Amino acid sequence: MDFHSLIHWVQQDTLESLRLFAPELVLCATIVVLLLARMLLPRVQNPMVVTLVGSLAAFWLAVDQMGNPQLPQHAELFTGLLVFDQFMVFFRVFLTAFLVLFVIFTWRSGIPAPEDGTDFYALVLGAALGMCLMTAANNLVMVFLAVEMASVPSYALSGILKGRRESSEAALKFAVYGAGAAGVMLYGISLLGGALGSLHLPSLAARLGQVLAGHGGEVGQVVLVLGGLMIMVGLAFKLSAFPFHFWAPDVFHGAAAEVGGFLSVASKAAALALLVRTAVGLSYVPPEAPSVAQVAAPQAQGAAEPRGAQAAPAVAQARVLPTAFAAPQQGHAPDHAAQAPQQAHGGAEAPPASRMALNQALVPARRFAAYLIGLLAALTATFGNLAAYGQTNIKRLLAYSTIAHAGYMMMPVAASLMLQDEAAREALATLLFYVVVYLFMNLPAFYIVALLRNRLGSEEIADYAGLIRQSPGLVVCFAAVFFSLIGLPPLAGFAAKFAILASLAHAGLWTLLAVAGLNTALSLFYYLRVIKVMTMDPAPESQPQVSIPLAASADGLFALVLTLPLLVIGVYWNGVFGWAVQAVAPLFR
Amino acid sequence: MTGTALDYLPVLLGWAVLVPLISFVLVVLFGPRMGRHGRLAGYVATGAIMISAVLAFVSLFIWLAVEGTGAELLQHGTGHDASHAAAAEHGAGEGAGHGQEHADKAEHGQSHGGHKPRVLFGTWYVLSPPGIPEIGISYYIDCLTVVMFAMVTLIATLIHIYSTGYMAEELADEVVDHEAHTADGRHVRRRGRYHRFFQYLSLFCFSMLGLVLSGNVAMTFIFWELVGVCSYFLIGFYIERRSANLAANKAFIVNRVGDFGMIVGLMALWGSLGTFNYGDTLDAQGHVQARGLFSLIRPPEHGHRLHVPDGAVKAAAAEQVAAVVADHLRSEGPSEEALANAKSEVQSRLDQWRQEEPGRGAYWLLVVAGLGIFCGCVGKSAQFPLHVWLPDAMEGPTPVSALVHSATMVAAGVYLVGRFFPAFVPEVLLIVAIIGCITLFMAATIAITAVDIKRVLAYSTVSQLGYMMLALGVGGWLAGLFHLITHAFFKSLLFMCSGSVIHACHTNDMRKMGGLLKKMPYTGYTMLVGCLAIAGAPFFSGFYSKDYIIAQTIQFGLDNPGWNVFYYLATIGASITAFYMFRLWFMTFWGEPRDQHVYEHVHESPPSMWVPLVILSVFAVSVAWSVPGVGLSIESLLEQARPAGTAEGVGVGTLLADLTYRSEHLSHREAIHAQATTVATLAALAGFLLAVVMYAKRWIVAEEVARQFRPLYNFLWHKWWFDELYQAVFVRPVHFVARLVAQFDRTVIDWLIDGSARLVVAVSTWGERVIDRASVDGFFNLLAQWVYDLGLRLRVLQTGRLRQYVVFIVVGTVALFVLVSFWTGSAIGGR
Repeated sequence: MDFHSLIHWVQQDTLESLRLFAPELVLCATIVVLLLARMLLPRVQNPMVVTLVGSLAAFWLAVDQMGNPQLPQHAELFTGLLVFDQFMVFFRVFLTAFLVLFVIFTWRSGIPAPEDGTDFYALVLGAALGMCLMTAANNLVMVFLAVEMASVPSYALSGILKGRRESSEAALKFAVYGAGAAGVMLYGISLLGGALGSLHLPSLAARLGQVLAGHGGEVGQVVLVLGGLMIMVGLAFKLSAFPFHFWAPDVFHGAAAEVGGFLSVASKAAALALLVRTAVGLSYVPPEAPSVAQVAAPQAQGAAEPRGAQAAPAVAQARVLPTAFAAPQQGHAPDHAAQAPQQAHGGAEAPPASRMALNQALVPARRFAAYLIGLLAALTATFGNLAAYGQTNIKRLLAYSTIAHAGYMMMPVAASLMLQDEAAREALATLLFYVVVYLFMNLPAFYIVALLRNRLGSEEIADYAGLIRQSPGLVVCFAAVFFSLIGLPPLAGFAAKFAILASLAHAGLWTLLAVAGLNTALSLFYYLRVIKVMTMDPAPESQPQVSIPLAASADGLFALVLTLPLLVIGVYWNGVFGWAVQAVAPLFR
Repeated sequence: MTGTALDYLPVLLGWAVLVPLISFVLVVLFGPRMGRHGRLAGYVATGAIMISAVLAFVSLFIWLAVEGTGAELLQHGTGHDASHAAAAEHGAGEGAGHGQEHADKAEHGQSHGGHKPRVLFGTWYVLSPPGIPEIGISYYIDCLTVVMFAMVTLIATLIHIYSTGYMAEELADEVVDHEAHTADGRHVRRRGRYHRFFQYLSLFCFSMLGLVLSGNVAMTFIFWELVGVCSYFLIGFYIERRSANLAANKAFIVNRVGDFGMIVGLMALWGSLGTFNYGDTLDAQGHVQARGLFSLIRPPEHGHRLHVPDGAVKAAAAEQVAAVVADHLRSEGPSEEALANAKSEVQSRLDQWRQEEPGRGAYWLLVVAGLGIFCGCVGKSAQFPLHVWLPDAMEGPTPVSALVHSATMVAAGVYLVGRFFPAFVPEVLLIVAIIGCITLFMAATIAITAVDIKRVLAYSTVSQLGYMMLALGVGGWLAGLFHLITHAFFKSLLFMCSGSVIHACHTNDMRKMGGLLKKMPYTGYTMLVGCLAIAGAPFFSGFYSKDYIIAQTIQFGLDNPGWNVFYYLATIGASITAFYMFRLWFMTFWGEPRDQHVYEHVHESPPSMWVPLVILSVFAVSVAWSVPGVGLSIESLLEQARPAGTAEGVGVGTLLADLTYRSEHLSHREAIHAQATTVATLAALAGFLLAVVMYAKRWIVAEEVARQFRPLYNFLWHKWWFDELYQAVFVRPVHFVARLVAQFDRTVIDWLIDGSARLVVAVSTWGERVIDRASVDGFFNLLAQWVYDLGLRLRVLQTGRLRQYVVFIVVGTVALFVLVSFWTGSAIGGR
């Protein structure tokens, strides 16, 4: 391949990639428009409207890509840094839809202050862009970059209440903690990449398979485990999983409720998508993976001439990319893979040939990841639920609730790693289903908290006493959200939690199942306590006027719109679940 | 077979059944809101039964158009039998030994001309799961069904109209019931229940029509019980009256006695024949798929003669069958083949068994089945010894007595005997005849002394039902059912007239009436028509049907010497009938008013009441006439429905070998007919004259006669002491046993249960205190406290110090690594 054709190919690749990348481009453009508008039209500009239009456009473009038969089923973008498939499309639709709802949320709740509007929305859009990249990451470098791209705007967002000490403190803690976690993660990435000679996830998986099958030369097991563990630390920080959750309660407490809603739904969904991408990507060789031979080659050469080893992977990767991009025939690739090393090395030690054999060799890696994720999930859910006891601040309570739910949502990932093919896909689909339901549980919760903050001037649970007499509809919505978070039928939370528990049972993770069941019981207490305060406790004498009629005010109506899907999905959950099943189809092939 | 207008009959008659049900549902749901005091409910119910009547008459006309009048059948039968007449008399004279031979000859002679009735049988909906014999919602339509539909709907329509007038006093917010008292002795005041009355009437019409239409025994039984429960509701309509309550209970309980027998009969049929269907199930080509009851008992290949069915033989020969099967299994080993061989051997040996001991057992099975069915009919048709409920049932409103307790429901027993006629063996029929004969005579005598106008009619009903049973029992299928139809018309007329009288006088006691003819001419003259009809005055409907019955008893006496008693008692009964009916009429309408107070308030009833009377009186006169020229008459219609194989006579007894039933047509011979007509007319005339002498002219003073025959009078006055007898034989002992059991229950069982309950309470109190509160609650409280404390302690981790957090990252990572390294050795690499 000469230089010219390489340039030509990169140009082709980029143009093709940009087409599939359109929603993200729209988000980028919106940020630019926002910033330019403040400079050029400081009087007339309304950042909220611009953001709303931008996110609607992105949403529309994302929906357009959903299940579109004209688009490739699977494509690597930008020379393999990102991957385009229905899984990514699902999360992009989810995130852009969330953006639309979130902008309406901020419009109703009155934060940000007008002078901060442009900053706030630019940060939100930037973080959302990073989250979109997280869901599409196909390269460990991209994993790190996307995490940072989502995190850095979040640090600033949590400090958006400039006058408040808690807010600034939260931002600082978040930033420092994030930096620490990022450092650990970067260390893990470099360990893994260095040991296996690639950062491209499918190549990594193939290499790892060879190593585990005993054909990969001397790669220390400790290095691999430590690398995986450290990447996991970075992801656990984004997921706010125990013991890397410490930032979460303080940040949620200190930052505005709006930011809490943004972090707890969007950031968590993206982190989960990234967890799936990394865990599945590292332990599963997809059909589109670059031919095994080419991954194997540099290692063999590396043994002979160690100096050139560092440069080799990138070149090898670049060489195979065109074939990967052209969606090679599935039957063709293994043949090619089988022949190449034979020719190159003659009778040398033959690496495992077929994809199937590699995937078989990767079983221990999957099991390791499943156990690690399962362990963290169990710890996180239990810790979150226990620590939520005795919280007096509603945002802090919701922060722990978020932590606990992160634990629940990590469980199906573990389950799917223990399963094969169809069963694995179904297990993973329960995660996607839960994420959708989670949006309609947490966003209304934070929205109602914001509404009450505006009226009551307080976020202490005790100040909610007797609210049901002032605005019964809102309290009923709040109670519905809590009941759904507990997982009581007929609300969607029940269906979602049930699906997750079922996937655990399928995977045979009985300990995890027991922990999840026990946690559900544990969580009853603190959710019900809030409902009890709102409904049974007598209202204090000095309670301000908080009447928010559900149907007669825009505020109340939006709360209803956000809560109603809980009931709808709780009863007709087939539609969402079917969509989730389609979305996970590209994984575990 | 296909494509005739008859195919519409199931639909028409099916709707005729359903429309009253719709009315019932409407009235139940919306009755009180239908107009003021529910007045519209009456119109709804009346409209519904009118629709049914129209449908029924359309069906009747369709039948006539397709099947003809059946007059030629009657002619043919009579002519044919006339040619046999001499031989028949000859054979009968020779005695029992040759009876069998002769009967065979007669059947042979007729088999070429034997009329097979046209029957529509089908199933609308199969209830039973596949694999077991079919039970479904099915219909069985022959000419009898159609005629019964026409009769029931016509009379029911008239009675509905009549009821809108009769029950009008219920159209009030407050009704004072003069016959019911509260605890402090005042009259009961209650809300009007107009709609409820019509709701029950509609339900009754639905049940009665369903009973007539039903195509299998199970359905028949269900509707049988439904009419029973309607009767219960209607007798107890004036629920505040204690007498009405008791009467309703009595009717219900006495009927259960009969139904118990009926269930035994049903089980015998089911067990031996394996089907409940009346008719044969046909496939699309018209071939017989599965046989019904009647063709199993009278198979066509045996010329529709009585034939003990295979199923019954198998049931009776259970031991032999078991032996055969065991033989085959032993010799051939347990296999499907052996079972099949056993089956075919059983089949081949059936005829042999039929001749031997098992055949006798199988015949007994038929006897039990027949007697069981008849038991139900005894209860429903108030035959001796279960007749006691019907007179008491007169506590219900009079239209109910006219419809339910004279014309339709009580006749259902007779109808069922008629329906099952081909399935009854001669021995059963003899029992039917004996019961009917006792009933007719006993009830007629009781009616002589009764003074309650409705009770006279009630006993008259019992007596007439006895006539019908007697007629069926002596082989007069046509005679019995013919009398059923004519009786329905004149008896409902009589009841409605009595209702009109009661409506006017506000009393049932005939001793307070008298001379009402001037004030109530319509009622008086229509009732006279009814009396003439029931007494059998020439050219009135009762005359024709009673003639048939008496002729049949004469014929039966000829065929079976020694059984002339039926003839004598039937004739005496006819005489008594005329006597008590005219006694009733004279006491009510003739002579001087006995109670001036009552007389002064008497007035003719409203048109809604007397118009139906006039219409019914026309029918009471003419229903038995044949239409001149076409020869259409009730007899000809019924003749079309005569069950296959009975035209030649039911057959010859097996257990009672000299019991002979020969063709009913033989009784239509001129000689017998003339004798019957003469005797019956004379008997009626005698009764009539006696009534004139005693009650119109009062040449003989009735009270004097009563004094002179005091013991006899007392005997009759107390209704043959039946109630007292039952009280002593059944009710008292049952009460005694019940008291004993109740005592046992109260002292022993209650003590046991109370004691155990107390023990449980004691144990649970102790358990609650010791185990639950101290141990379980303590444990759970401790657990909850522990979890809560843990939660609070975990909060301490959240120090808020950034430096500690960052340290936690490192600590967490290292801790995880340590933790993971415990199981990586085995999980990764697998070395």
